[in-house]
Amino acid sequence: MLRYIVRRLIFAVPTLLAVLTLVFLIVRVLPGDPAQAALGDYASEEAVTALRAKMGLDKSLAAQYMDFLVGLVRGDLGSSLITGKSVAEQIFFVLPYTLQLTAASVLVGIIFGVPLGIATALRRNSALDYFGRIFSLAGLSVPAFYLGILLLLVFSVRLNWFPVVGAGTRGDLGSILHHLVLPALTLGLIMTAYVVRMTRSAMLNILSEDYVRTARAKGLGERTVMVRHALRSAMIPIVSIVGIFAISLIGSSVMTEIVFSRPGLGKLMVGAMKQRDYTMLQSIMVIYALLIVFINLFVDLLYGLADPRVRFN
Amino acid sequence: MRKWLMLCALLSIIILAAACAAPADSGSDTASSSDTAAADGETSEGAVLRLGINAADLSSLDPHFASGTQDRTVVSMVFNGLVRYSPGDAPNIEPDLATAIPEPEATDDGKQVWTFELRQGVMCHAGPETEAYELTADDVVYSLQKSANPDRSAFAGEYDGMTVEKVDDYTVSITMDTPLSPVLFLPKIADYAGGFIVCSQAIEAVGDEAFKTHPVGTGPFMFESYTPQDRVVLTANPDYFRGAPKLAGVEGRYMPDISSRELGLRAGELDVIHGLDEAQWVDAISGEEGLAVDVFGVGEVATIYFNIDAEPFDKPEVRKAIAYALNRDAFLALFGPGIADNVYSPVPAQFMDGGLTKDDVDALDLEYAYDPEMARELLAEAGLADGFSFPVVSSEMNAYRKVYEAMQAQLAEVGIDMQVDVVDHSSMHSLIRDDANPVVVYVAFRPNADVYLTRFFHSDSIVVTGAKPDTNFSHYAAIDDLIDSARAETDEAAQIELWKEAQVQILEDMVAYPLMYQNQIYARSDKVDYGHPLNAIMNLNPQITEMTTIGQ
Repeated sequence: MLRYIVRRLIFAVPTLLAVLTLVFLIVRVLPGDPAQAALGDYASEEAVTALRAKMGLDKSLAAQYMDFLVGLVRGDLGSSLITGKSVAEQIFFVLPYTLQLTAASVLVGIIFGVPLGIATALRRNSALDYFGRIFSLAGLSVPAFYLGILLLLVFSVRLNWFPVVGAGTRGDLGSILHHLVLPALTLGLIMTAYVVRMTRSAMLNILSEDYVRTARAKGLGERTVMVRHALRSAMIPIVSIVGIFAISLIGSSVMTEIVFSRPGLGKLMVGAMKQRDYTMLQSIMVIYALLIVFINLFVDLLYGLADPRVRFN
Repeated sequence: MRKWLMLCALLSIIILAAACAAPADSGSDTASSSDTAAADGETSEGAVLRLGINAADLSSLDPHFASGTQDRTVVSMVFNGLVRYSPGDAPNIEPDLATAIPEPEATDDGKQVWTFELRQGVMCHAGPETEAYELTADDVVYSLQKSANPDRSAFAGEYDGMTVEKVDDYTVSITMDTPLSPVLFLPKIADYAGGFIVCSQAIEAVGDEAFKTHPVGTGPFMFESYTPQDRVVLTANPDYFRGAPKLAGVEGRYMPDISSRELGLRAGELDVIHGLDEAQWVDAISGEEGLAVDVFGVGEVATIYFNIDAEPFDKPEVRKAIAYALNRDAFLALFGPGIADNVYSPVPAQFMDGGLTKDDVDALDLEYAYDPEMARELLAEAGLADGFSFPVVSSEMNAYRKVYEAMQAQLAEVGIDMQVDVVDHSSMHSLIRDDANPVVVYVAFRPNADVYLTRFFHSDSIVVTGAKPDTNFSHYAAIDDLIDSARAETDEAAQIELWKEAQVQILEDMVAYPLMYQNQIYARSDKVDYGHPLNAIMNLNPQITEMTTIGQ
């Protein structure tokens, strides 16, 4: 298994390099000038020219690319073109916020989604099934920022249960979790919708399989049939969708982070994009690519856990 | 089932680990105490004002680099200038770090000397590496020299030809190679842009980069902490030279989304927020109990520039036809009553000397009031009776996109097809400086008539090809003499006449169509009293000073 993991990570290197090169080129092809963006439109021409030189933007593209790669090999992500602060420092500062939100949303998605999916499959065409189906259709259709504002209106402004602004006081676990509830619900409920659908259809497929009939014919209790036989086989597609969704959550949490005024990777990226902060953008992409590689690997390992036939040789 | 439980447990561990990984930066985070203080709704003594800033993060709190409103807002609380715009009442100027505004003296070699006496006992805040210390002439000299250095300031160009010298600890003399009128000189040393005075020992100790996120000045509030993408915390400076602030501090939250800021204000988690420039929004918030909205200047001026080197805009009839085809009042309706108002010259007469009022342009017959018939006639005269089409790019920001789209609809009425391509804000700024648009809409505030005229109409400022390419999108070069002689004129009345003359010329040639200005919108809890009127503010935000209070 260790060899499998190492091999997967080695294969990830060319992927990462391709992502990096693409990002490096794309951000520079776009119109927009980081020096102008940093100094504002009132800045004098002398100052903009001086800053451009300081940012190294007067060097050739090849030279800039080499600087970037050499820095990367040394583990140095460079410093932000705009604030001059270390990029690695800023990314690692916001990364925990993004991971909290992603993990909490996935947790909400599993806790609500899997049981509801199973229940709707078992009680097909019942009121519960219709509720589950309407719920998941609504979840698939609602944009995160809209749901977020709705939750804020009800639970924060009307009921005053949860705070509106920020991600809590650093180091105070209670405050952090209190601030995490609504954003996690926002993304989690949307994820629930996907998980419900996937669980329901996987379960329906499996419930019509011969071995389920056999298990029932053997006289096994319904509970055992469900948990031991049906659910275990349904896990593979569910784990896949959870994995895919976790990846897209990391990327799509931008609007949620903005609505809830939380620091985060997505928000950092949008800010860097607006200001044409090339070094910051490149480095965020490196982190994104790495996260995706890791989550994919994690999901593949989970397959092995769910299905003993999957072996990593 | 056990495996699902394991997965859930694992995810919970990630959440907790991530929650704990956000380090408790001891001593720099006062949020918990201020949260409780404000939640208890206590008296103004000790209250922390919580401000919803319209930005995802700060760019720079070094005042000489602070160019966005989000940065100017914070900087104005931490720093002072030698003189300042009266709070809430620009462009009136009064002494700040200086004891009085001096009369300039002319020297024998044609230069001009301004001698400032400094207040005594003004204390620099304690910095990360420095103790609090008394501000002296050394700091003032250091600071203005920094402003003039393009490597250390975004506003360097404004300080060409200025020499700053220390006379004694409390006296500074500033020599201008070319004499300037007070209207042009005083803004350079006022509490705006390059005029802010930084504490030299503090910045020398930490370096320019670190200073951007830990500013040290002499203002009513001292920088305490900054959490990226989240907040900046300031505390009251008990030794402030105008007296200790009535607030305990200010907490600025970076919240780029208007809905979130609004909800924060409604939920009582914020006291002041940057609002939305729509009359409907203003009405809705004003109608809420306990909330109030302020609409104030200075307004950012939207002007339409024609590139006179690009066909068919090289023909004056075509430019005039477009001017007559546009209906100023229809543009105002985009924002609603009170939020925006018409302007009739590129320099807004409402906010500064040198602009033309409606009466002025009426008298000269240069209003270009809406007249589509006239527009069609002029187009026919130019041989374009069947109309023509041209492409432009617009920023995605409301202030631009709405104007371009309204313009598109109005021009279609006279047969002109303007194709609008919406791009992100930063792209637009680059593209229009590359002559991508034959017709440019630009929204900006500039501190005086000279800056407006120099940067938008002097031949040196022509985009791409000028000696110092800036924002002369019109490629106009016919009023250089007027601009230069106005700048050199030290008699204020004569100077204003020259500025007006320059604008009459611009309108006669119709190289730019002055459209409107847009006011600033801020909402607040009605318990907040800024302690000054809100007429016109250079920083575009209500100033929070030592007089600001939050009542019960």
